[in-house]
Amino acid sequence: MTDSYIPRGQAASAENTAGRRTDLRSRGEPALWSLGGALALGIIMILGFLALVFSNGIATFIPKPIAVVTETGGQVTAGEPFRSESFRPTVEEVATLPPDWQARIKSAGGMVNRTLYRMGNFDVYGEDFRWVADYAVAKREFPANMVFVERMEWGPFIGTVKALTIDGNAQPFKSIEDPVFLQAHQQALDRADDIRDIERGRIGDINHRLENERLALRKVELAEGRTSAAYRDAQDRLNTLSVTLQRDYDALAAEVTKLREASARNTLTLAAVGGEEKTIEFAALVRIYPANDLGFWGKVGVYLSRWGEFLGGEPREANTEGGVFPAIFGTAAMTLLMVLVVAPFGVITALYLREYAKQGRLVSFVRISVNNLAGVPSIVYGVFGLGFFAYVLGGSIDALFYPERLPSPTFGTGGLLWSALTLALLTVPVVIVATEEALAAVPRSMREGSLACGASKWQTIKYIVLPRAMPGVMTGVILAMARGAGEVAPLMLVGVVKLAPELPIDGIFPFVHLERSFMHLGFHIFDVGFQSRNAEAGKPMVFVTTVLLIALVTIVNAAAIILRSRLKRRFAGSQF
Amino acid sequence: MDSAVRIDTPADTVYHLKAGGAGAILAINELSLWYGAAQALHGVQMSVEKGLVTALIGPSGCGKSTLLRCINRMNDLVDGLRIEGEIRLNGEDIYHKSADVIALRKRMGMVFQKPNPFPMTIYENVVYPLKVDGVRDKALLEETCERALRGAALWNEVKDRLDQSALGMSGGQQQRLCIARAIAADPEVLLMDEPCSALDPIATAKIEDLINDLAGQYTVVIVTHNMQQAARVSDNTAFMYLGRLIEYGDTETIFQTPKSPKTQDYVTGRFG
Repeated sequence: MTDSYIPRGQAASAENTAGRRTDLRSRGEPALWSLGGALALGIIMILGFLALVFSNGIATFIPKPIAVVTETGGQVTAGEPFRSESFRPTVEEVATLPPDWQARIKSAGGMVNRTLYRMGNFDVYGEDFRWVADYAVAKREFPANMVFVERMEWGPFIGTVKALTIDGNAQPFKSIEDPVFLQAHQQALDRADDIRDIERGRIGDINHRLENERLALRKVELAEGRTSAAYRDAQDRLNTLSVTLQRDYDALAAEVTKLREASARNTLTLAAVGGEEKTIEFAALVRIYPANDLGFWGKVGVYLSRWGEFLGGEPREANTEGGVFPAIFGTAAMTLLMVLVVAPFGVITALYLREYAKQGRLVSFVRISVNNLAGVPSIVYGVFGLGFFAYVLGGSIDALFYPERLPSPTFGTGGLLWSALTLALLTVPVVIVATEEALAAVPRSMREGSLACGASKWQTIKYIVLPRAMPGVMTGVILAMARGAGEVAPLMLVGVVKLAPELPIDGIFPFVHLERSFMHLGFHIFDVGFQSRNAEAGKPMVFVTTVLLIALVTIVNAAAIILRSRLKRRFAGSQF
Repeated sequence: MDSAVRIDTPADTVYHLKAGGAGAILAINELSLWYGAAQALHGVQMSVEKGLVTALIGPSGCGKSTLLRCINRMNDLVDGLRIEGEIRLNGEDIYHKSADVIALRKRMGMVFQKPNPFPMTIYENVVYPLKVDGVRDKALLEETCERALRGAALWNEVKDRLDQSALGMSGGQQQRLCIARAIAADPEVLLMDEPCSALDPIATAKIEDLINDLAGQYTVVIVTHNMQQAARVSDNTAFMYLGRLIEYGDTETIFQTPKSPKTQDYVTGRFG
C-alpha cells in the first residue's frame, strides 16, 4: 500500500528520488536484449538474403561495357568484365614475372587480383569465360566499335561487324542505328515468327488431326476388331485424311522453305578480336548493341527489352537464355489448381473434425497425425504422388478412357494435375490446422444465437461460423499457397520438366490439358544453376529467376492478405 | 394466489401459484439436471403462465440460467449433460425422443446476456430466423423486419441504415436488435438470460420498458440478478437457490410477504 497516489507518468521519477532501483534481473532486461537480438538477427539475415538476391537479379540485365584486353603474351581477349577476385598464383608463375610485379605480389602476401571476362563466342573459342590476372594485362581498352550480339544459338558473340548482306546484296555497314539494317532485322524477325507459327501452329495442327484420326482408328480396332466394317471405314477415313493432310503439309513445308531461303539471304558477318569471322542470319539475331557506345537511354532500352524477353519469351540455349514465360505460367497454373483442391478439401476436413466428430481419443489421434503430416519430407510426397497418383490412378484412367493411346501414357505419367494433387496433399495439414483454429475461435455466443433462432447446425455453420472463420481459413490457404508455390523436390517426380513443348492451357480442345507436364520457376532455378553446361553463364539467370519467384509469391500473398483484411474488417465492430 | 397451493413435490418448495393451471404455456415437471457428476437442478417443478412475464431470481450458480436454457434445449450443446423429468410446451414434452429440437427453437426466442448480433447487416440480423426457416418472400421479410424492429422500439433509430453492419450499433441498440431478432418469428415464449447485465442504466431502462410492452403479446421468462428489475418487469417470480426452486408466486407476494426464510433473506439483500 502506498501512502500517496502517484500519477502513472511520474511513477518512475518518484522511484528514482526514493533512491531505489529495481533489480535488473527481476525487470527482465537481459531477457529482453536476447529477445530483441534474436529478432534483429532474423531480420538481418532475411534482409541480407533479399538484398543479395535482388542486387544480383536486378543488375543482371544491365548492359556492361566490353573490354579488349591485350596480355603481355600477346593474346587478345574481348569480353564483359564479369567478376574479380584475388587469388594466389603458383610460385613458378610468379618467378616468370618482372621484378616489380614480384615485389607487389610479395607485399600483398602472395595474392593478386584477377578478372573473369565473359568472352562469348562459344562456337569460336569453345569456352565462354576466361580469367585474366592483373599482372598479365598489357593494355585494356574499351573500343567503341565493339558490339554485343545475342544470338538464338551459341550464346552471345562479342566482336565487330564486318559486313552486311541484305536480300543477297552486300551492303556497306554504317551503324547499328542504320534504318536499312533495322528494317531488315525486323523483317527477318517477322519471318522467323511466321516460320514458327507455321511449324508450331499449322503443322502442329495437322499432326494433331492426324494423331486424332489414328487414335480413333485404334479405338475402333480395340472395340470392334481388325476385321469389322467399322474398322475398314475408319481406315479409309484415315487414309483419305492423311492424303489431304499430306498435301497441306507439303504446301506449308514449301512455304517454310521459301521463308528460310529468304532468311538466308540476309546475313551479318561478325569478326571476333582474333580475326575469326562468323556469318549469321538476321533471323538468328536477337539483339545487337554497341556496348561501349551506349548512352543512358540506350542502356535503359536494352535493359527493358531484356526484361520483356525474360518475362514474355521462351527459353533458349538450355534455359540459360531467353525467357521464362512457360515457367511462370506453369507455376501459376499449378498453384491455382492446388489451391482449388486444397482449400475445399482442408476446410471440409477441419469442419468435420471440429464441428461434427465426437471429440475423443480417435479425433485427437487424427489431429496429431495431421500435424505430423506437415513434417514429412516433401520428396516423400513426390514419391507417393508418382506411385499413387500417376501410376495407380493415372494408369487406371488411361486403361479406362485412353486405351487407344497405350502404351504411351496420357495420365499415367507426371503432369499438372498430379503435381497439383501432390502439393495439395503436402499443404493440406496447414489448411486443416488453421481452419480448425479459426473455427474454435468463433465465439460460442454466435453459435448459440443462431441455434436459438431455430437454425440447424448446418445452417449455423453455413451462415455464421464459416463466414466468421473465413479470415483464419484464408491465413491457412495463404500459407499453403506460399509453401506450394516454392516447393520443387516433389514436383521433379510428378510432372515438372526442364523444357515443356506446350503450355498446359492452349487453343486445342479441351483447352486445359491437365495431363501435360509443365515448367516451374523453382525447378528452373535448379536446372539453370546446377544442370546447365556452364554454371557461370547460368548464375545470373538463377538470381533473376529467384527474384521473379519471390516477387510472384509476394504478389500472390499480398493479394490474399488484402482479401483477408477486407473480410476481417466486417467483424471489426464485434464485441467479442 | 391467496393461499400457498402445494402440489405433490418437492416438500420444501413454497408455491403461491397453482401449477399447471389453464393459463400455463410451459409446465416443468420434476426436472433434474447433471453436468457430469455435479447436479445442477434438483426436481424443479413449476409452470409458466401464458402472456405474463416470469422472472427467475437467485444468487449466482443457483441454476436459474440452466433452467432457462433447458426450456429451448440450449443445454443440448453441453457435453456430459444428463436430464431427468420433463418440460411441456402446450402439453408437448420437448424432451421426448421424437421431439424436433430445431422446430422447438423456432417456437421460442432467446436473448442472451451479452448482445450477440451476427456480423451481417441490421436487416439480415432481424430476418435471420425467417431465413433459416426458408422464407424467401422479400415483401414478407421486409414487413417482418419493420414489425420486429418496431416491437423492439428500434425502428426509428435504424430505419435509415438497415443495410449497415449491426456491429456498428451501440451495446443497448445491439441488445434491442437481438430482441427484435428473437421476436421476428413470432415465438410462443421469449427467453431472456440476464438481458441487461452488460448494459448501462439508460439502455437497461429502455429494455425494461420494452419488456413491459412485450408482456401480454408474448410469454416472457427472464433471468435476472437485479431484484429491482424483477420487481419492475415481472408478474410472477421464482426464487431459486442451490439448484432448487424455493418459492414461486406472483411478484408482489415474493417481494413483500415471502414465506420461506431464504427468500426473505435474499429479497431483503441479506445474502446473494
